[in-house]
Amino acid sequence: MTIALEINGQAYVVEPAGRRLLAVLRDDLELLGTKLACGEGACGACAVLVDGRPVNSCLLLAEAAEGHEIVTIEGLSTGRATAIQEAFVAEDALQCGFCTPGQIVSATVLLERVPHPTHEQIHEAMAGNLCRCGAYPKIERAILRAAGDA
Amino acid sequence: MTRFVRSQKEMEGRYEDVWVLVDETDDVETWAPDADLALVGRPAPRLDGAARAAGRVRFTVDVRLAGMLHAAVLRSPAAHGRVRSLDLDAARAVPGVRAVIGPESDLSLTTRAPLLAAEPAYAGQPIAVVAADTLEAARRGVAALALDLEVLAHVVGLQEGLHEQSFTTDPTDDSRGDAETALAAAEVTIEFALDTPAQVQTPLEPHSAVASWDGDNLTAWVSTQGMFSARDELVRAFGLRKDDVRVRTEYVGGGFGAKQGAGFEALAAAELSRITGRPVRLVNDRHAEQLDGGRRAATRQTVRLGARLDGTITAIDVDAVIAMGQGGWVFPVLIPARTLYRCADVRALSFPVKTNLRAQNAFRAPGVMEGTAAFEQAIDELALALDLDPLELRRRNHADVDQVSGLPYSSKQLLACYDRAAELAGWAGREELRTPRGDGLLRGMGCATQIWWGGGGPPSHATVRLDADGYASVITGIQDIGTGTLTTAQIIAAEELGLPLSHVRVVGGDTRPNVYGPVSGGSQTTPSVMPAVRSASAKVRKTLLQLAGDVFEIAAGDLVISDGRIRSNDGAIDVDVTEVTGKLGDATIDGSGSRGPNPDGYVVNTFGCQIAQVAVDPALGEVRVERIVAVHDVGRIVNPLAASSQVEGGILQGMAFALSEELVVDPTTGVPVNAHLDDYKIPTIADVPEIVIDYPNVPDANLPNVGSKGLGEPPIVPTAAAIANAFAHATGRRAAALPLTRDRVLEVLA
Repeated sequence: MTIALEINGQAYVVEPAGRRLLAVLRDDLELLGTKLACGEGACGACAVLVDGRPVNSCLLLAEAAEGHEIVTIEGLSTGRATAIQEAFVAEDALQCGFCTPGQIVSATVLLERVPHPTHEQIHEAMAGNLCRCGAYPKIERAILRAAGDA
Repeated sequence: MTRFVRSQKEMEGRYEDVWVLVDETDDVETWAPDADLALVGRPAPRLDGAARAAGRVRFTVDVRLAGMLHAAVLRSPAAHGRVRSLDLDAARAVPGVRAVIGPESDLSLTTRAPLLAAEPAYAGQPIAVVAADTLEAARRGVAALALDLEVLAHVVGLQEGLHEQSFTTDPTDDSRGDAETALAAAEVTIEFALDTPAQVQTPLEPHSAVASWDGDNLTAWVSTQGMFSARDELVRAFGLRKDDVRVRTEYVGGGFGAKQGAGFEALAAAELSRITGRPVRLVNDRHAEQLDGGRRAATRQTVRLGARLDGTITAIDVDAVIAMGQGGWVFPVLIPARTLYRCADVRALSFPVKTNLRAQNAFRAPGVMEGTAAFEQAIDELALALDLDPLELRRRNHADVDQVSGLPYSSKQLLACYDRAAELAGWAGREELRTPRGDGLLRGMGCATQIWWGGGGPPSHATVRLDADGYASVITGIQDIGTGTLTTAQIIAAEELGLPLSHVRVVGGDTRPNVYGPVSGGSQTTPSVMPAVRSASAKVRKTLLQLAGDVFEIAAGDLVISDGRIRSNDGAIDVDVTEVTGKLGDATIDGSGSRGPNPDGYVVNTFGCQIAQVAVDPALGEVRVERIVAVHDVGRIVNPLAASSQVEGGILQGMAFALSEELVVDPTTGVPVNAHLDDYKIPTIADVPEIVIDYPNVPDANLPNVGSKGLGEPPIVPTAAAIANAFAHATGRRAAALPLTRDRVLEVLA
C-alpha cells in the first residue's frame, strides 16, 4: 500500500510497509542527512520537523506522517546556510557531526518558539539531542550567537 | 637524500623499534615560541564545518551502492554457550536472502581469530551473518536460523575471575626499588581502594562497513580510526596486495578508541560481498554496538602510599585487577602510580582477569584514565593525612625526569599548569567554598594531575600540490574522526605556504593516494602528521620562490611570501602569487614531506592539571559539577578553537565516568542489562558544567618543526579524579567505587 508524504515541500509516494519514517527517508528517498543512531528514541539524531515540531523519526510510523508537513535537515539547508548553521560552524559546535543534523533541527524549533532563550530554556529544549563528542558547551554558545545574544 | 633510520614508535605507551624513512631535506626549524605567525595559534572554524552542519557529509552508514545487500548478524544471547543447532538452509530459503555464513562455513578470508563463534564466550558475540536484498529480509533470515544454544557457565565478576586465577595474559610486575621496606619505614601511610566502572565508548555512528569487489580489487568504506590498518587487515585476510584494497573513511561518527582497523564489520561485509558478487553493508544496531563495540575495562585498584611528614612520597604500592573480557591489550592502568611523582620505591602489579565479556579495547586514554581515578584520590588521602594542601603535596613531589627510564622529558610545564589552574579555579578560596550558602548543598573543590604520552612519531607523510590558480591541495593519511585535524593541517600548510586559509584544501580519509597517516588514536595525529605537512609545504614554498626569482630576475632568497602575495625584501616587488603560479598552465608544484624521528634520549609526555568544583545534594544524593578548570601542557596550540572542543569533550566523558556511566552486567546471566542509549547514561547538554580552559602553550623544542604534542586524550585523564576529590572535600567521605550515582552517594553519606 502506498501513501503520500510531503517532505521539504515536495510530494512523494512511498510504500511504508510498516516501517518508521526514518527508514523511508533514508532507505527509499536517500535523504541521508537524518541519522539513525539508536532507533530507540533516546538520542535525537533522527529529529525531523513534523508540522513544525521536532519528532524522533525513528519512532514515528511512516503512515502516521501522512497529511503532515515534514521538514528534514535537507529542507533546512537549501540555498545558503541558516544563521543557526553558520553559528554552529563559527563556534565549532560540532565535532564528528553525526548528531549535528538533529541538533540543528531542535535548535531551529527552539529559536522559532523562543527567539532569545535562556540557559535553562536551551538545556530543556536540547536535552533530547545527545552528542557523544561533547560539543554541548559550544552548541549552547552557537544557539546564543544565532539568537544575537552572544 | 632519503635514508632509513632506526627509531622508536610509541602508541599509548607501547614502544616499538621501527625503520623509518627520513628525507634529509626535511630540515625545517621549529617556529620560535615568539614567532610572528599569521594563522598558527589563531582560532579557525573547521574546513568541513558547513557541510557537516548541513547534513551533507556522507558517513559509512550513508554509503548507498547499486545492488547493495544488507547484512544482519545473529549474536549470542548468552555470556557463554555452545551452538547445538543452526539452520543455515532455512535462512537461505527466506525470500531476498542471498548469503548466509556461520561458524562452520568455508570462508575465503583467513584471520587470526575465527570470524564467527560456535562457542560464543560473551553476550553479543557474532555467530552467523545473513546478507539479503533488504535489512528486513536479512533479519527474517536471522530469525530463520533458529539458534539452539546450550548455555555454559560464565565468569563476569572481577573477584570471581581473580579467584579462578584465569588471566588473558600473565600478571605483570613493574616494580622498582623496595616498596615494602619503604612503606614500613614511612612516617605516614594511607591505603585506598577503588572500583572503576566499565565504560562504553558509544559512538553515535555505530561500527559499520560497506564492501564492494571489482575482480580482485576490494573497496571498503569503514567507520574506523585507522583506515591504513583496516586496509592492511583486509590485505592479510584475503591474501591481497596493498594496492588491491582501497579503504575510504572520509567521515567517522565518533570512535573514542573503539574503532580500530577493519573490525568484524568490514571483514564480514567483504566476505559476504565476495560470496554474492554484490556490495554488502553491515551496520551495528545500537544494542549490538553497546554489547560488542567495546568498552573501557572495569578495574579494582588498591593504592598504599608512604610519606615523610614533610610530604615527600617514599613508597608507592599499587595493584590493579582488570576485567579484560576475552582479551585485548592490557592497558597501562598503573602508569600514573609509576610516573606521576618522584619515588624510587614502587611496587606495581597488574592482574588481567579473563571474563565472559567482549575483549576490552581502547577508550580515550585507556588504562591511564582509570588509573588516575584511583591513584590521584589516594594522593588526596595522603594530603589529608599529612594535613597538607593537595596541590602543594603534588608540587613537592614533582618528577623532574621520567621515573621509569630516568630520561629527561622533552618538555614539561606541569608546575605552570598547577599555578594557572589554581589561579583560574580560585584555589586559595577553597576552604571558604565549604561555608553553607543556605541552599542545602555541600560544596568542595578537588584537583588531579594528568600524564599521558602524545609525542607522535614517524611514519607519517604528506604531499602538497600548488596549482596555477595559487590554490594548494594537501594530501594526507588523516581520517578526521571529529577532532578537526584536517583543519589543523590546513592551518600548518597555509602558514608555511604563505597562502590564505581558504586557498588550501586538505584531503584525507582515503588510502588510495597511499600517503600514510597513523591511526587516529594515542593523541598522535597532530604531532605525527603536522611536521610532515609543514615539510611538504616548505618544499613547495621554496620551489615557488625559485620560480618567482626566475620571473622577476631576483634571487629567491630576497623574496618572501605571505597572505598570498610575493614580496621582495626591498619592497620593489609586491604581487599576487598568481603572477607566478599563473605561468604554470596545467603543471603543478609538488612537494612531499615525512615525519622525522623523535629525539633520542628524551621521553615525550603531555601534562596537566584539572580542578573541579562540585555541589552535592545530601538529600537526593545528586552530585552536580559546577565548574572545571583545565590547564594542559600539550606544546604549541595550533587551533585554539578545535583544541578547546577536544578539552570540553574529554572532560564531559571523564565527568560521566565519575557520575553516571557504567555498563552493568547481571551476575546471574552474565549479560549486560543496560546496553541501550536510554539506560546507559551519557551526558546531555543539561549536565554541562562551566569549563575554563588554558594552556602554557609553550612549543616543545625537541619535537620536529611544529612543537605540538597531542591533545585528544589528556583532557579525559584527570577529570574523574578531580571530581571525586572535590566530592570528598565537600562531604568528608570518599566512595569506594565510581560512578557516584545517587544510590551510591546516599550510601556513602549515610
